[in-house]
Amino acid sequence: MKKFLFIVVAFVATTSNLFASGAKEESIDVSSNEITVYAYDAFCGDWGPGQKVVEAFETKTGIKVDLVSAGDAIEMLTKAELEKSNPQADVIIGISNDMAMKAYNSDLFDTYNSPALKDIPNFLKFDKQNRLLPFDYGNFAFVYDSEKLSEKDLPKSLNDLTNSKFKDKVLLIDPRTSSVGLGLLIWTRELYGDDYLTWWENMSDSALTITEGWSSAYGMFSAGEAPITLSYTTSPVYHVMYEDSTRYKAIIFEEGHSATIEGVGILKSSNKKDLAKEFVDFLLTDAQVDIASANSMYPTNSNTKLPSAFDWAPKPNVTLSLEASDIEDNLDIWLDDWTKVMSK
Amino acid sequence: MKKKYVDNRNLYERIVPIPSLLLLFLIFLFPLFSTLSKAFIVDNKFTFLPFINLLSDSYTHRILLFTINQAFFSTLLSLIIALPGAYLLINYQIKGRKLILAICTIPFVLPAILVILGFVTFYGNNGFLNILLMKLFNLENPPLKILYSYKAIIIAHAFYNFPIILVLVTTYWENLDYKLELSSFVFGASKAQTFIYITLPRLILSIISSSLLVFLFCFTSFSIILVLGGGPKFTTMEVEIYRRARISMDLNTASSYAIISILFCIIILILYNIFQRKTTTKENAYKSLYKKEKKPVSKIGLILSLIYTIFVVLFVLSPIISIIVKSFLASNTRSEQSIFTLKWYKQLFGITSTTGVMKTSFISIINSLKIALSVALLSTPLSLSLAVASKRDKSTTSLFIELLSMLPLAVSSVIIGLGYYLIAAKIQNTGGLILVILAHLVIVLPFNIRAITPEIRKIPPSLKNSAMTLGASGFRAFLNIEVPLLKSALISGAIFAFAISMGEVNATLILSSSSIITIPVTMYRLIGSYNFGGACALGTILIIVCSIVFISSEYLKKDNTLYI
Repeated sequence: MKKFLFIVVAFVATTSNLFASGAKEESIDVSSNEITVYAYDAFCGDWGPGQKVVEAFETKTGIKVDLVSAGDAIEMLTKAELEKSNPQADVIIGISNDMAMKAYNSDLFDTYNSPALKDIPNFLKFDKQNRLLPFDYGNFAFVYDSEKLSEKDLPKSLNDLTNSKFKDKVLLIDPRTSSVGLGLLIWTRELYGDDYLTWWENMSDSALTITEGWSSAYGMFSAGEAPITLSYTTSPVYHVMYEDSTRYKAIIFEEGHSATIEGVGILKSSNKKDLAKEFVDFLLTDAQVDIASANSMYPTNSNTKLPSAFDWAPKPNVTLSLEASDIEDNLDIWLDDWTKVMSK
Repeated sequence: MKKKYVDNRNLYERIVPIPSLLLLFLIFLFPLFSTLSKAFIVDNKFTFLPFINLLSDSYTHRILLFTINQAFFSTLLSLIIALPGAYLLINYQIKGRKLILAICTIPFVLPAILVILGFVTFYGNNGFLNILLMKLFNLENPPLKILYSYKAIIIAHAFYNFPIILVLVTTYWENLDYKLELSSFVFGASKAQTFIYITLPRLILSIISSSLLVFLFCFTSFSIILVLGGGPKFTTMEVEIYRRARISMDLNTASSYAIISILFCIIILILYNIFQRKTTTKENAYKSLYKKEKKPVSKIGLILSLIYTIFVVLFVLSPIISIIVKSFLASNTRSEQSIFTLKWYKQLFGITSTTGVMKTSFISIINSLKIALSVALLSTPLSLSLAVASKRDKSTTSLFIELLSMLPLAVSSVIIGLGYYLIAAKIQNTGGLILVILAHLVIVLPFNIRAITPEIRKIPPSLKNSAMTLGASGFRAFLNIEVPLLKSALISGAIFAFAISMGEVNATLILSSSSIITIPVTMYRLIGSYNFGGACALGTILIIVCSIVFISSEYLKKDNTLYI
């Protein structure tokens, strides 16, 4: 019986400890000078720009920001829609151009013609009504291992990748399960229009495998499993930062690269719009360097001075894009067709 | 005349499952049904049409068939690998016995991405195995092409899952009464005959029970199938669910696919239940004097167990060791040559400055341990209570409880994830830690219950009845008679709970809105920020922590045998 008592005591001790720490987290103070901002996980994490940007903003303006890590773009939209009756957030950070239509359809966002927009090039302003304002962008690209592929052998276009000399050398990502994979699907749409599936079919020999997510593909690439992988033009920056290595480089195609442009928006339901506007302005100006460095994306504000590591992230000369409505209307059809062709 | 059914359950047997059922309802059924109901609602109208359309679609049939196919063959291979091991561990006194069982549990704690990378670094084109073979035989190209094919899926699944069968069957087998075998020998049956006609039929329940877990586990597998299979040729139901829910935001179709999967799994579970009722044998759980003597290592035994040990070491440890080796390697800037380094560990613990990783990795280790220990401690009594409730009861309640507790395995993590958003949105800012632990509890229940149920069925009611005749209350008899008999099963279950909780990512991320970082969460973040070496280093720490826990738990199992 003693044993039993001991177990019960140990048990109670562990569980009560848990519940106690749970209770502590509950205390949140709500002040009128505070805005709530939803951002995707990576933005808020220890490696994301979130904390630094919020601190700088709070020091500059005295406005408090409650930064909530709320999953990915779709999860944030779902969360905001579920909360429509009891709105929590004032600002949502990180709805990209390919998801934009879902944001417009949700009717969650309010137009804001920020003064900072004058410094942002037009090709980045994906929402003509300025409900979502672009704060950073990245180009999809193929990254290669310069130890395994010499510069003269590099592909010069997407089509070159289908060449038999790249047999089993390329890592692709599934558009059904990854936003980077989706980026490539859209990239092929932008270049080849309705013929896009021919490219995918021709890639079947070059592709070593089609992974479910970017992490697996890049992990395999780092492990040396294949010399070319789908990623971003900015990927080499990390290898310079962490490994002091310039071994991995991005390949620039003259025909152009697809882009993912990340936007920030103010919610219609917000009752602190003035504070929210100040925060958005800050994101589009003062915070640009921090965001670009931490996210490894390009800043949208053309006045931004970038750190030198960005020299390893070549900017494509041409950035391609599709209409958000085109993507919204047809994406499912493209994915269905893609699945049919690729699962043969 | 209708035979009057005597309800011999005690009051406690009716009360004990209530907390677990409540938990299942709140953390599992409620979010599940609120998501699944979307399958029948189009434009705010209730309709079966999209569901029926999907059910009659030939593409759906194709992926469902493939999903079943790969899960079946993965289970088969897991059985082929696990059963000889169980046989050897039971029959021979193998030196590293505890170590083998502990090693086998390690694959379980590894997040899928690490398993994939482990496989690639060992079996891949540039993997250790191929490099070794190329150097040995002076080859130009990697000779072994194991990955990116159907067989890679099956092998990886077997790697992940054969330990379930090995551990569960071994635990069950160890506590079988050897009397029957002895009698069989007395009547002149040969060893082989005795094994086939006496031992195997009694083991079958635990074999099928554990196979069922493996089958369902493979049924909802996701990234391993896509990456190691080589692409969209091998599409399972889970991939389609993911696509509809996350990329297309088409909850209607996603839920319909999920319902088809769930219906299929329910059919399997019901079949299992019917089968199990037919074969239930009353075993004596108390160890009789005729406990099988383990043979001292004979020559054949030595060779066989050596072969098996080498195999386990190669098969289980090689991808794991690949990860550990990778964590100590960094490539020299301009050459292929990799050199030994502690760089990743230094980065991980902030000795070399990077970002605020030190704080993160330390907290993540503490959090993981805290969560996994609580889950192991809490899930064991919960599972025990459910196992008790479904024990000797032939009513539909027991079938219901059994189905309910297995269902979390059959449901896609994407679907239940969507449901979690609902909870997280409703209960804002209420201690994420508790929600995470509750969700983990639901996830580990099926494993924990599978460890306990076959054992609890062995306990003859007479044992408890005699205790009660001597004046013990029902609860007292349960606590002092039944629980001690279940000791090793309870520990096995707790280990699984611990391991699964250590490796869990999805629910943790959703329910804590990423405010609670665990080891696997940090690992994903490290990979996400291109720090593959750092992820391997943290993975190594995960492996070490778990090995210590597993090995010490094997010692805990040590007999306090009841001789009656």
